[in-house]
Amino acid sequence: MSPADLDQMQTYRRELDDVARKSGALVTGVADAEAFTAAMEGQRPTELLPGCKTVFVLGGAQPRAGDWKSPSYRHMETTSTSDRLTAMGNRIAQHIERRCGYYAVTVPPGVDRARRPFLNIALAAELAGCGSPSLAGPVLHPEHGFMYYTAVLTTLPLAADGPLKQPACPAPECVSMWNEAGTTPCMATCPIDEGGCLGGKLEDGRIKERRYDVARCTTRVHTSFIPGFQKALEAVFDEPAKEKRKMILYSSQFTRTLWSMSYSNVSQGQCFECMRVCPVGSKQRDLR
Amino acid sequence: MLDLAELVQSAIAPDLDATMAMARSDDIRKLALAAGVDVVGIAPVDRWEEFVPPGSRPYDILPGAKTVVVVGVRGPSAGAWQSPDHRLIEMNGYDFANDRVIHLVADHIEREYGYQAIQAPGLPVGGHQPAFSMMLAAVLAGLGTRSFAANIILNPKYGLLYYSACITTLELPVDAMLEQDVCPAPMCVQVYKAGGRTPCQAACPSDEGGCLHGTIGADNRIESTYYDRERCVSRAMNFGINSFQKGLEQIANEDDSERRRMMIHSDFFTRSASAIAFYKESVAQCFECMRVCPIGRAERKLK
Repeated sequence: MSPADLDQMQTYRRELDDVARKSGALVTGVADAEAFTAAMEGQRPTELLPGCKTVFVLGGAQPRAGDWKSPSYRHMETTSTSDRLTAMGNRIAQHIERRCGYYAVTVPPGVDRARRPFLNIALAAELAGCGSPSLAGPVLHPEHGFMYYTAVLTTLPLAADGPLKQPACPAPECVSMWNEAGTTPCMATCPIDEGGCLGGKLEDGRIKERRYDVARCTTRVHTSFIPGFQKALEAVFDEPAKEKRKMILYSSQFTRTLWSMSYSNVSQGQCFECMRVCPVGSKQRDLR
Repeated sequence: MLDLAELVQSAIAPDLDATMAMARSDDIRKLALAAGVDVVGIAPVDRWEEFVPPGSRPYDILPGAKTVVVVGVRGPSAGAWQSPDHRLIEMNGYDFANDRVIHLVADHIEREYGYQAIQAPGLPVGGHQPAFSMMLAAVLAGLGTRSFAANIILNPKYGLLYYSACITTLELPVDAMLEQDVCPAPMCVQVYKAGGRTPCQAACPSDEGGCLHGTIGADNRIESTYYDRERCVSRAMNFGINSFQKGLEQIANEDDSERRRMMIHSDFFTRSASAIAFYKESVAQCFECMRVCPIGRAERKLK
């Protein structure tokens, strides 16, 4: 790439960062499309967009400081959603195509066959230096902690940021807790050996092993929304008594489930407890 | 005896009104384009009289309506069209940008100019017919013409667009309807003359289990079109409300509890429910007639 081309790419990067920030993104990063060696076959950037050079990642739309403060846990269930990030991704894709003249496509937020994502967005965030994987699961940004991410695949050959040199998890407080008590805040709040979802080990201040029970977590995080709807539907059809069926269909649980599906941002996730106790990004939640 | 000031006023008033209307029209167009739409067109309400019955015209929806502002946005990104994974284009096909912008337009007209403005209803409220056809609105606002491909309205520059409309009591300068049909493109006429089918008809021929058929007349214009909507729905809407209803019917008719459970938790039913929940996730699943359409292809050619 000539110096003029490099300058041009730097200009594009500044523009994209600017559009992302104005759209509400908190962090941005660029991953090299060739770096997705850990991704499953069919889920690599070049398999989704021929000639893909980079993956532009945006992060943000996390619960606000006020959301975390609310004593009503149901409040955050109904306000926390990744939808806004996808809209930002579309805006970035549009800018790349219309302003820079390169192909771009937003990675869809849903799942494909076998409930697998189109592209592992957590991996993209990690490879773009937006955060690092945590014991609790989500990719944590060193300063802001938990947030949602979206990824835009593009043929635009930006310079890649690469993964963080120092992982965000475990935080120093968590290492101290591990050294004293053999657990971390997130593992203590949802211990896998006591019916919870999280387990793992630290060694030399780094994650040595991680255990995560995705099935258990799903039953807690998605008590309403699509899995809740399917569970309730099963109960309805299995119920022989007409009156009881009516009760199930008009129950508050089933009603909430339908609300969460039709207004999909009403209630996508219902458990934030491992993130509530996470110290990474907690300073950002400390407001007046 | 006429007052001189009144005389002067009456002479310049029409010009002033026209200037103000033009300025408002420019203002609305700029607002919509800045908000992300690709095209804006304005139609007078009387254009509907030739095409729709009484009760379904703009002034039947908003009494006193004078004009209809129509906006159009491109659906899938050029990158999505390039993807070998067809599901990517399904999931990125539509993000309701046109709906969001039309709300801005309606808000702007009401708040800035003090005229009534509503988003035209795009979804069916009874039966399967929408209360207001966005396709017709796009044609009448000069944004495109009907095509062989499922009657989709093609814009001369961008091809497939998604449209929304705002009905308002504000009188605005209107756009002329297109004089030249967008479809068939000259290339399609050549293909038709050589093989008896246009590219879209060849991609989905109705006499071979597909949805499209049509003829081109001696004047190189559309002579007849045939579109099998039922077949198209079964292909273009594998996930969404239709597949959800189909899945639910099968579940309800299944007597065996274990099999019912499998069906409820199957990939198919989960994705159908997901397509309803994230409505924009997968509105349509077949873009094949549009994939081969030459209109707007230049706009999809990037680096």
